[in-house]
Amino acid sequence: MRTEKPTVLLVEDNDDDYQLMQVAFQRTPGSLELLRAEDGDVALDYLAGKDEYSDRDRYPFPHLVLLDIKLPRRSGFEVLDWIRKNSPLRRLPVVMFTSSRHTVDVNKAYELGASGYFGKPESMKELAILLGELKNVWGRLEFPTEADPIAKTQIRQ
Amino acid sequence: MLGADQLRLIQPNLQSERVFRLLANSLRDYSLFLLTPEGIIASWNPGAERLKQYKADEIIGKHFSIFYTPKDLHIQKPKNELEVAAATGRYEEEGWRVRKDGTRFWASVVITAIRDDDGTLLGFGKITRDLSERREAEARYRLLIEGVSDYAIFSLDSKGVVTSWNIGAQRIKGYAADEIVGRHFSTFYTPEDRAGGLPEKVLKTAEETGHFQGEGWRVRKDGTRFWSSVVVTALRNEEDELIGFSKITRDVTERKHLLDAVQRHADELELRIAEREQTNAELEAFSYSVSHDLRSPLRAIEGFTDIINTDFGDQLPEQVNQYLGQISQASKRMNRLVEDLLDYSRLTRASMAPEKVNVAKALEDARQQTEEKLRDHVKVSVPANLVAYVHGSTFTQALYNLMSNGLKFHAPGKEPHVEVTATAKGNKVKIVVRDEGIGIPKEHHERIFQVFERLHSATKYPGTGIGLAIVKRALVRMGGTISLQSEPGQGSTFTIEVPGI
Repeated sequence: MRTEKPTVLLVEDNDDDYQLMQVAFQRTPGSLELLRAEDGDVALDYLAGKDEYSDRDRYPFPHLVLLDIKLPRRSGFEVLDWIRKNSPLRRLPVVMFTSSRHTVDVNKAYELGASGYFGKPESMKELAILLGELKNVWGRLEFPTEADPIAKTQIRQ
Repeated sequence: MLGADQLRLIQPNLQSERVFRLLANSLRDYSLFLLTPEGIIASWNPGAERLKQYKADEIIGKHFSIFYTPKDLHIQKPKNELEVAAATGRYEEEGWRVRKDGTRFWASVVITAIRDDDGTLLGFGKITRDLSERREAEARYRLLIEGVSDYAIFSLDSKGVVTSWNIGAQRIKGYAADEIVGRHFSTFYTPEDRAGGLPEKVLKTAEETGHFQGEGWRVRKDGTRFWSSVVVTALRNEEDELIGFSKITRDVTERKHLLDAVQRHADELELRIAEREQTNAELEAFSYSVSHDLRSPLRAIEGFTDIINTDFGDQLPEQVNQYLGQISQASKRMNRLVEDLLDYSRLTRASMAPEKVNVAKALEDARQQTEEKLRDHVKVSVPANLVAYVHGSTFTQALYNLMSNGLKFHAPGKEPHVEVTATAKGNKVKIVVRDEGIGIPKEHHERIFQVFERLHSATKYPGTGIGLAIVKRALVRMGGTISLQSEPGQGSTFTIEVPGI
């Protein structure tokens, strides 16, 4: 299912949060496509196009990653670090999306190369506002995609 | 009596006789005179007269043995000395000599043989110096050292063998002088230190750098150990050759015990601090997971309630919508509760480095945080340049809590009104927050500063019951105080004081 819409990969283990995000995406006037990875390991496989994720029609390479910090096994920071150290993915926008408001976490995220940092909003209204911002800031940028042959081979390695 | 022939024989043969006489006559501190090969006094100088009390005319021509003690005469010392001088060219010694009045003095004596070019002995030159004073000083010094009992003071030869011993050494180490003099000083070291070569290292350091200084365990004669403070100094002669060492040892076992005790306390303290840091880290992790995990279900409750409301609200009975509203309110309250608890626990742990804070600005920041529609009911009166020495954000939070507290508890049917005045009071800043609200009965004045203590139901006056506890904790952490004056129906006045500058 190749889509022309900009795609967002949400790395989120909490089903409630995923569902709420789905609703928020549906409510945002037809412009963004939501994809999901349930934890850090899945996120890595997804981005690397490993196994089933090599099917990019079904699992398109995202334009933006929304990354929770607290995830089972592999934390959001580890995922972020991996992305920033993986040369073809280095320029992929990664926005932290977390309930932590700790300064330590915010600083660490930016040190590791996060493109943005958002606290999970308390209401659907705020979530809608946040999505609007995401779309405005990152939805219009030209993203590197896996279609780039160099990127593809390097990721496969 | 010296014969005239003999005198003639000596005198013409002395070179620069006149110079010599002038020199000899000018020496007052040295007795300087000539002897014939037989020991007859052939000349005399003012130094000799001063030292030995004889005038030239009463001594010239007499035998020099007149200066010796009966004991020395008995062993024929004068004769022996001349024989040595004649054989080796020189005789040197220190010893007792006798003045004309029979008193003795400690003399440094040098006798030099004088020969002509053919090697024929012409006579002797004799130089004598009075060392009585130095000898007395040395004796006094030795007595002093021998009498020192708090310090072990002893000397070693260049190999480390004990050559002298004082009473302090005996007291501290347990050996009498005759037991230890002649033995190597490594006896005082522990077997471990001996095996490690410490005694050699001590002497080597002293020899190379002039001295060695250190502390360590030493062993007494009875095998017990004591903690010693040691100074070893290398002794060198005028030619800079090592002739031995002096060693001063002090028993500082008591001090060592004290220091050890202090160190143990310090270690314990450090351990406790480490434990506390550990606890703090655990608390930090706890509060992290509280903020993350406890709020996440609330987000779901809030979110799905919102979705139901928005997407299906018009299909639901009014009653359901009302319940949904209550669910939403409850989850919001819970959220605030979690926030407040986090604030409160942060106040317990976080370090609060004070800084200069403009009170007027802090009050305005706090006022801006209050509910918009009530904001104008807060009247602030503060000198523009008033400065407090506090933790900025904590200070503002405390002020905000007091303001919103005053706004909240207004009397039914009456507009809320909060008056804030700030003044300098000595080196402190005093801030009074007064409301015209419902007031607080005296018996509750203590309770309201505790966590979760509330005097009213949450329905009547919404809130978490943590606000004033946060204020109190914040002020205590910043070195401030809070007091309350209030009567039911009379409004409440909170007075806080914080450090100024």
